[in-house]
Amino acid sequence: MGAAELTSMTTSKSRSVLKGALAMMPLTIAVIPWGILAGSFALDVGLTPVESQAMSAIIFAGSAQLVALGMIKAGIGIGSILITTLLITSRHLLYAMAMRSHISPLPLKWRLGLGFLLTDELFAITNQSHGGDKLAQHQFDRWYALGGGLTFYIGWNIATLLGIVAGQSIDHLDDLGLDFAIAATFIAIVVPTVKKPSILVCVLVSLTLAVVCAVFAIQAGLLIAAISGMVAGMAYAKLTGEGNAVSAPVHSSTSHSAKSHTDSVKKDQNR
Amino acid sequence: MIWLIIISMAVVVFSSRHLLLEPKLPIRLSKNTLTLLSYSAPAVLTAIFAPIVFVPEGQLAISIHNPYLTCALVATVLAYVTRNTLLTTVLSMGLFFILY
Repeated sequence: MGAAELTSMTTSKSRSVLKGALAMMPLTIAVIPWGILAGSFALDVGLTPVESQAMSAIIFAGSAQLVALGMIKAGIGIGSILITTLLITSRHLLYAMAMRSHISPLPLKWRLGLGFLLTDELFAITNQSHGGDKLAQHQFDRWYALGGGLTFYIGWNIATLLGIVAGQSIDHLDDLGLDFAIAATFIAIVVPTVKKPSILVCVLVSLTLAVVCAVFAIQAGLLIAAISGMVAGMAYAKLTGEGNAVSAPVHSSTSHSAKSHTDSVKKDQNR
Repeated sequence: MIWLIIISMAVVVFSSRHLLLEPKLPIRLSKNTLTLLSYSAPAVLTAIFAPIVFVPEGQLAISIHNPYLTCALVATVLAYVTRNTLLTTVLSMGLFFILY
């Protein structure tokens, strides 16, 4: 391999990393209030600044972190925290399943690295990069994914640090209503995925039970609500034969949500 | 104890992300499991945000005076109409901080 060829390869790699980073920018900005909340709430719960930062640096899962912090604050045991974490994070099994064909042939360090960085957001931008309705099997750009994933990781950790620093000097930072950022983000993610009646059923059941459990201060509310929602959605789809309308119900529903997520990201970029 | 929670949570989260990327692992989820999992994102995310919106102070607050609820409704409409994640979050959060 000649020197010129090597140079051009390096350039195209760094260009891909940069493209991934740029594609991730809007979602990184949207996660800032949330990161601030994760940092300040961790201090509020009683974690040290190092522990608070470590949560974002090692776990790197916003919703799981915030829910776990709430449970730690309520004095709930590690077993329940881990079961809840498993449920919250189970959607990543699907993302990994969808990206298996792209990532599993890569060397171990890439599988480990991209696996660690695999978030809702990374899943959205990597699927978007292929364009069109179908994921192109041959066109997965690992450098693009790495650029996007690292950007989001760094953004999340800087926002957490901001929250830790601000939380030490400003009291009751969590009273500022930063938790609305969670609601706003999740609504923005969930609403476009409601493309089938069964998903609407799933969302409504989950919503109702989560609210009822919160009103009665039932600790396992998240588990009860989410599992009931999932079962209700699936039962509705089976009973009405919704899934039979398409050849592969699983993949169609996965790519539906991925697609709509992708569409919204695409619009972000066009702005 | 906190470190134990952090490390074990990290193991759970990383495993769920990495497991199915491993080519040697002969893991095959059944069709039913995959179908059930396809409902996990909307179900879990809804179960997390619903109490924030409807029960902000530990009591059911279905009222126009609950800024969490009014702004969540605005966010829902924005998300439905625009399908734009960033626009939805930024506008509804801006409104929320004005009202709150």
